[in-house]
Amino acid sequence: MPAEIPPSTPEPSPAKPHVSLPALFVVFLRIGILSIGGGFQAYLYRDLVDSKWIDPKEYLVGFAVAQLLPGANPVNLALYFGLKLRGGPGATAAVLGMLVPSFCIILLLGFAYRQLAAYPVTHAILIGVAAVGIGATLAMGIKISARLDRSWSSIVVALVTFAAVGIFRIPMVPVMAVMVPFSVGLAFVLGRPHAG
Amino acid sequence: MLDSRLLGLILVFAPLSVLSFGGGQAIMADIQQQSVEVHKWLSNPEFIDMFAISRIAPGPNTLISALIGWHVDGFPGALVAALAMYVPSSLLVYAASSWFIRCQASPFRLAIERGLAPIAIGLIFAGILAVVRAAQMDLLGLAVLVVCTAIFYFTKFSAYLLILIVGLLYAAIYFTGGFT
Repeated sequence: MPAEIPPSTPEPSPAKPHVSLPALFVVFLRIGILSIGGGFQAYLYRDLVDSKWIDPKEYLVGFAVAQLLPGANPVNLALYFGLKLRGGPGATAAVLGMLVPSFCIILLLGFAYRQLAAYPVTHAILIGVAAVGIGATLAMGIKISARLDRSWSSIVVALVTFAAVGIFRIPMVPVMAVMVPFSVGLAFVLGRPHAG
Repeated sequence: MLDSRLLGLILVFAPLSVLSFGGGQAIMADIQQQSVEVHKWLSNPEFIDMFAISRIAPGPNTLISALIGWHVDGFPGALVAALAMYVPSSLLVYAASSWFIRCQASPFRLAIERGLAPIAIGLIFAGILAVVRAAQMDLLGLAVLVVCTAIFYFTKFSAYLLILIVGLLYAAIYFTGGFT
């Protein structure tokens, strides 16, 4: 796996590469257009790490940050690495590069759908496409769950959250207002690294 | 004075923006509930069609906000819904990232990481359940779902190719009178 870092090798700290704002915009524009079904992780890794803009360790930290904070994952990644490479203007260029083309494309697709919605076959095909999308998400959910630490507290928090929002259909705002302080507080009290 | 429909879009998407831990899938259940059941902007079939379009399209699936916004109030609706979806979370991520980039390790950060992870997972599965329920899937749909899940879990098969194959399969079944 390319993400593995030899733990004992001391990292030399090379001078930070200068990345121009247009270059940053173009990289995220490309990833924005190519990203589907989780593919953005691979494209992003190739564009940022293989071009030596970001070292692998920094990439993993950025990835964790983007995943843990609210917001769309690709947008958060663009924001984090844009900020890291070029500060505020870099974050803006990266996020716009990620979102503007996708925004235009989805509106075009929506417009095409409006013309095609009169034909029932359109709805039949889209049900199939939705099934593929749910399958991709389900596979991702299972993979992520497998990486979750198996403490009873984590499992209970995950199940309670799922039941509250998924089964009992309680709106997410009150659920999060209760679960986030509870779960973070619990992790703070119980939290000892497994290795230590 | 802001159009009440635009205001409605902001009031739905801006709070969900800062609550979308785990990405867009985490708030899909709420987007469905708010836009179909509470505000009655869409019917369930329309929501499912938009969900499917947001999956075919590149970019994050929360761009479904732009489609819903367009449905509610044309281009201004699409723009306002997308901004409401991305600006609040981005400001939060901007502030937090500045802090994360500076401080490399603290027990507080570790607790946040460990505390949020199981919540995100619960929300992801709740979102899946909401979409499955809204789609009112028949046996064929569930079979396709299971097969696709297995393919995505065990292989690196292209999502585009799979979408194309399943789309053609559904069109073929439709034209041979499979859906009656």
